[in-house]
Amino acid sequence: MNDIVGIDLGTTNSLIGIMDSGFPILLADRDGSRLTPSVVHVPESGDPIVGSAADRMRVLEPERTLYSVKRIIGRRPGESDKENLPFTVKSQSGQTVIEVGDQVLKPEDVASLILSKLKMDAENALGRPVKRAVITIPAYFNDLQRQATKRAGELAGFTVERIINEPTAAALAYGLDRLGDRSRIAVYDLGGGTFDISILELSEGVFRVLSTNGNTRLGGDDIDRELARLLKERIIGRHPELRPQLEDRIFSARLREVAHAAKIRLSIEDIVQVEIPFLAGNQNFAYALSRQELEAIARPIIRRTRAHCLRSLDDAKLDPRNLDEVILAGGATRMPIVRQFVAEVFQRLPNATQNPDEAVAIGATIQAGILSGEVQNIILLDVTPLSLGIETFGGLMNVIIPRNSTIPCKAGEMFTNVVANQTSMQIVVLQGERELAKDNWELGRFELEFKSVPKGMARVGVQFEIDANGILHVFVRDTLTGIERVVELTSAVDVTDEAVEKMIAESLDHAFDDMSERLWTETVLKSNELVPAVRSALILVGEQISTEDRKQIESLVSKVDESLKSHDVHHLKKANAALDEGTQHLATLLIDRAMAEAAKRKK
Amino acid sequence: MIDNFAVFGIERRPVVDENFLQAVYLRKGQELHPDRVGENDFSAINAAFQCLLNPVQRTQHLIKLEFGDTAPSCIGTDLGELFGRIAALVRWADEETVSIAAQDSPLLRAMTFQRLGPLLENLMALDAELSEKRQNLLRQIEALDQRWMVSRSECRDPLAQVAVDLTFVQKWSTQIRERILKLEELV
Repeated sequence: MNDIVGIDLGTTNSLIGIMDSGFPILLADRDGSRLTPSVVHVPESGDPIVGSAADRMRVLEPERTLYSVKRIIGRRPGESDKENLPFTVKSQSGQTVIEVGDQVLKPEDVASLILSKLKMDAENALGRPVKRAVITIPAYFNDLQRQATKRAGELAGFTVERIINEPTAAALAYGLDRLGDRSRIAVYDLGGGTFDISILELSEGVFRVLSTNGNTRLGGDDIDRELARLLKERIIGRHPELRPQLEDRIFSARLREVAHAAKIRLSIEDIVQVEIPFLAGNQNFAYALSRQELEAIARPIIRRTRAHCLRSLDDAKLDPRNLDEVILAGGATRMPIVRQFVAEVFQRLPNATQNPDEAVAIGATIQAGILSGEVQNIILLDVTPLSLGIETFGGLMNVIIPRNSTIPCKAGEMFTNVVANQTSMQIVVLQGERELAKDNWELGRFELEFKSVPKGMARVGVQFEIDANGILHVFVRDTLTGIERVVELTSAVDVTDEAVEKMIAESLDHAFDDMSERLWTETVLKSNELVPAVRSALILVGEQISTEDRKQIESLVSKVDESLKSHDVHHLKKANAALDEGTQHLATLLIDRAMAEAAKRKK
Repeated sequence: MIDNFAVFGIERRPVVDENFLQAVYLRKGQELHPDRVGENDFSAINAAFQCLLNPVQRTQHLIKLEFGDTAPSCIGTDLGELFGRIAALVRWADEETVSIAAQDSPLLRAMTFQRLGPLLENLMALDAELSEKRQNLLRQIEALDQRWMVSRSECRDPLAQVAVDLTFVQKWSTQIRERILKLEELV
């Protein structure tokens, strides 16, 4: 069959759809659900379980239930350790892998299991085989993450016709019945694990992306994590004796589930009763969580999206006033605080008419329709999100294809030998926006070979092509011989695990001998900075906090003073940390005050 | 060498009608996009479009087409002074950014942010100055566009100079904006 399906492979949920008589339709599984949780449970024996059934196992067997794998797909080890996932993520031969019992899976293997289930559900719903697919990815995914996603699709038995950016897909869904209009829209896509902002121009059926920006490590999951931490503090506050049990993996998993569910309910209600029955034996825990408390935690996380929005507007050379609409995608945009934030940044109310969970999948389905020929009157002109370049002298990055170049695109560079009879030159290919090569993602490297000729006589051309998937292809052409070849980039991380351990061991050897004294001095320095700062802050913004909060802060300050006298470094560190946490609210008030003053000065 | 002006069927001159350019580009997109007609050299059309839309690239492309490779110009003298101020401000901003980032205490960070008022003010003033410079340079291109019809060879050197100056002004603008965003982001 010529069917091409559209798939939203989300951090939290995945969906699959197909064009039917000119309309994009999302397909349901046997239980009638269009959403499939992106969760895979790997039992000790038997086949892996995917979807809602696996989701239910998250709390029961957290080490064997894999979720949010999108946060680690295509990443190198070392990039993944901040993810705080309850299952084991490790490095093996320079790649990120997941260990479940004695099985080892790559993130793309897990993604392919999810895609296989979607494939099966679609084939069941349609009554015919499905072999071709369009799969979505965050716009800000780099080349490695795109390749890994494409591979996952191929492992699941699909021919992956296109990898398409999620905000662009959401724009397609929005614009499908507005093809006559000419407009400029921004798509604010905040999902479980990733954030993207794209600015597009829609005109006579042509969807042209002007710019895109984002953060592949920012999403609703981060809010869940902070909320779980808050709840844990509240539990410990009431039942300090339970602290050791709360470190348990199963308990942490339960807490995350509870936090996630509470967060969702608080989009509709102002206050929810959080309940954890039979917490460690006979204790029940019930806590009234207010939307305000949630928003206090969520605000700094959501604020981090602001810079990306501004950069995207800047790259598109537009002001928020020049936009006609801001549309939302991703489940997290259901939160009222997110909508308020978007309204502030873009100076207009966001258009929330689309279902934020389904918009991307609908868009993927439309793109599938474009490729299969069923959709005739739409063209998509997307861009590459990250600058592409190579490393040059001084460890700098030389940009060859700038970010936001419309794809497909290509650019070439000519290389020559710097010394006579030089036989080769290593080219390091990078993606990113930083000036120093080492601060960008290394996509790989390859050797350019020169014939033996005098200095400056060799002419070897390298062609960098970014295809419609945003994936890089490199070709090399020796102008003297006319020979052309495709270049395979070899992965840069040829550091073996032993080498990494050796590096760690060596750094420990160089540790200061008088470690404990140094630690004490550092901790005292911190206290001596922090306490006066707190006192200043109380003077500057103290009247904006409640008397209880003020008393709380002052008691934390006394604890620091006491610990200073005790000469116990652990006590002092804990007292400092407690004071830090206890004054976060003050910090926010100070920033607000400084920003208000800056705004006044601008006028 | 590909003549990007010819790709779009427009006259070779310093200024282009952006609306017309875009209309042609969209039409070509509808007719020639690989999704519609299969693999072809659509990337050349993308490259031509982006070149013609970007004042610096367009000017450099025009010079190359008309005169062959010209010797690169030096930066304009009035920009030299600006460069000094930008370098100093960028250095100051980077130092503050590093020192704030090193703070792991939200309160200490917030207190440092208080100090940043004058720094941010300076950065924004410089940003405004650079925008103004950019507008001036674009106006120069428009003036040269008029002279172009009378004498092309006269325009060669001034165009090359504008292209160089514009490159620097745009680069510095990006750097200043990035520092402003970085400082705001840290908070």
